Amino acid sequence: MNQLPTGMYQPGTSVVHQMKANIKIFCFLILTGAVLMAETIWGYAVLVLFSGCLIYFSKIGLQTALSSVRRLIWFLIIIFVMNLCFYGPENPWIKIGIFAPSYEGLMQGVHIAVRVILMMVIGNVLMVTTAPLVLTEGMETLLLPLKLFRIPTEQIAMILSVAMQFIPTLFEEADMIKKAQIARGARFDSKKLLDKAGAVMPLVVPIFLAAFKRADELSLAMEARGYRTDMARGQRKFGMPTGFEWLAIITCSILCILQILCL
Amino acid sequence: MSITLDSVFYTYAPGTPYASAALKNISFTVEKGEFVGIMGKTGCGKSTLIQLIAGLLTPDSGAVLLDGKNINDKNYDRNELHRKVGVVFQHPECQLFETTVERDVAFSLKHFGWSKEKVQSAVERALTMMGFDYEKVREKSPLEFSGGEKRRIAIAGILAAEPEVLILDEPIAGLDPLGREAFLVLVKRLNEAGMTILMISHNADALAEYAERIVILKDGMLFRDGVTREVFSDMDELQKNGIGVSEARQCAALLAERGFDVAKDTICYEDLLKQMIAIGRGQQ
Ligand SMILES: Nc1ncnc2c1ncn2[C@@H]1O[C@H](COP(=O)(O)OP(=O)(O)OP(=O)(O)O)[C@@H](O)[C@H]1O
Ligand SMILES: [Mg+2]
Repeated sequence: MNQLPTGMYQPGTSVVHQMKANIKIFCFLILTGAVLMAETIWGYAVLVLFSGCLIYFSKIGLQTALSSVRRLIWFLIIIFVMNLCFYGPENPWIKIGIFAPSYEGLMQGVHIAVRVILMMVIGNVLMVTTAPLVLTEGMETLLLPLKLFRIPTEQIAMILSVAMQFIPTLFEEADMIKKAQIARGARFDSKKLLDKAGAVMPLVVPIFLAAFKRADELSLAMEARGYRTDMARGQRKFGMPTGFEWLAIITCSILCILQILCL
Repeated sequence: MSITLDSVFYTYAPGTPYASAALKNISFTVEKGEFVGIMGKTGCGKSTLIQLIAGLLTPDSGAVLLDGKNINDKNYDRNELHRKVGVVFQHPECQLFETTVERDVAFSLKHFGWSKEKVQSAVERALTMMGFDYEKVREKSPLEFSGGEKRRIAIAGILAAEPEVLILDEPIAGLDPLGREAFLVLVKRLNEAGMTILMISHNADALAEYAERIVILKDGMLFRDGVTREVFSDMDELQKNGIGVSEARQCAALLAERGFDVAKDTICYEDLLKQMIAIGRGQQ
């Protein structure tokens, strides 16, 4: 791959990199709450400012932080246009067929676009600064309380960590398969819709087959090495939060409370 | 069709913490009809090299020329490139996807605008070449074959397009000895019919037997490029750099160590046999 997949972990030594995974995920959840609660322009302004600081402190660069936004830009535009045209049909500016752009639609579109962008950026910072395996371990510790309700948290964690480890392999495999098909004359860059549709099969079928094959082999290998679903797994001990981590938790919580109460 | 690499550099994931310089300053030319073996330790950049030649990667700097034309020029015809250069990847069996063997083998022919009869005869020829009974396998799903058979079907799909250059990435790893020999003989036959062959292999015996020229990479750089006999003669230097030579060559070296008069350019079994017969005659 010439280009790294979006959200791929990039090792580093920034303060955000050094935060414990479970605390990062916890902060991420609080921030998600804050983004969802945001209503006013000031609310969004504070969140944008905060995301800016986040990118600065994590030292991952604006490019990387915005990579998923760039990748999904068409998705964003479509969401925006849909909201603009269909949201408030009561008093539109003009009405052309089913399209009725209105002020309410515009505002709704902006709201949603900004929220999605904020979520993508924050999520990206989390993914890029945390190694996949550590991320799943962090989730596992956060899931622990669910054990009280007899939810199999270990198995969930195992599924997550296996899935995480699969992702790079699958990317590589998909890349290889794509190249092999291009060498056989398949065209993936054609502008014609019919060609695009036709190009899907030579990719999807082998990628799924490869994924199933890998899953099969892995499950055999795990069983051969004595994995049982009822077995306790070794767990990473994350320990108490450091000063900076307390600061992060408190800042995120204040942000969220501010969004609910005042802004 | 001649292939020229002119001081080619390639880096994966440039500008990120994962950046790795896979190829550094590679230059060589392969003339039409040559059989070139490519060797080197794992991770030295062999697969990267062939992907550059096949136009699947674009060099950071330097140029890849086919018949003197830069394949990364904007107005170079990509379809022409993919038609003339066939690539058998490290695990070609992964690329099968059609519902029947016949359709899969015909996949690359779809874009050529050939008549139905011509396509069918090309498919039949390619499958027969790979040792299948065309009538028996044409309607079967490619997925119901064994790993080795799948690989042969996938290779048939590449041969069906009758490429001028055939690039093979580790084609014989994992084949049984008979299948390996049969495959190498087939490749040699294609080569004798005028096809240019570039074959990556860790199997020095196979290359000693069949390739006329050896290119060796080391840490992304060109380490050796020359006639097979000469390259393998220099056994000590190769082994010092972690590159194995053919068994016949090693055997000759052992004999030489014990004081027998065995030439350094003994690289394949035929050579070795001749040398040993000569020694035997001398002792009588
Ligand atoms: N998709 C990729 N992304 C990043 N780095 C890569 C990628 N593919 C290969 N590399 C790196 O480039 C170098 C050369 O890899 P390449 O696949 O060309 O080696 P190879 O000689 O074919 O090895 P092998 O004998 O194992 O097939 C390796 O160091 C590898 O880590
Ligand atoms: Mg390789």
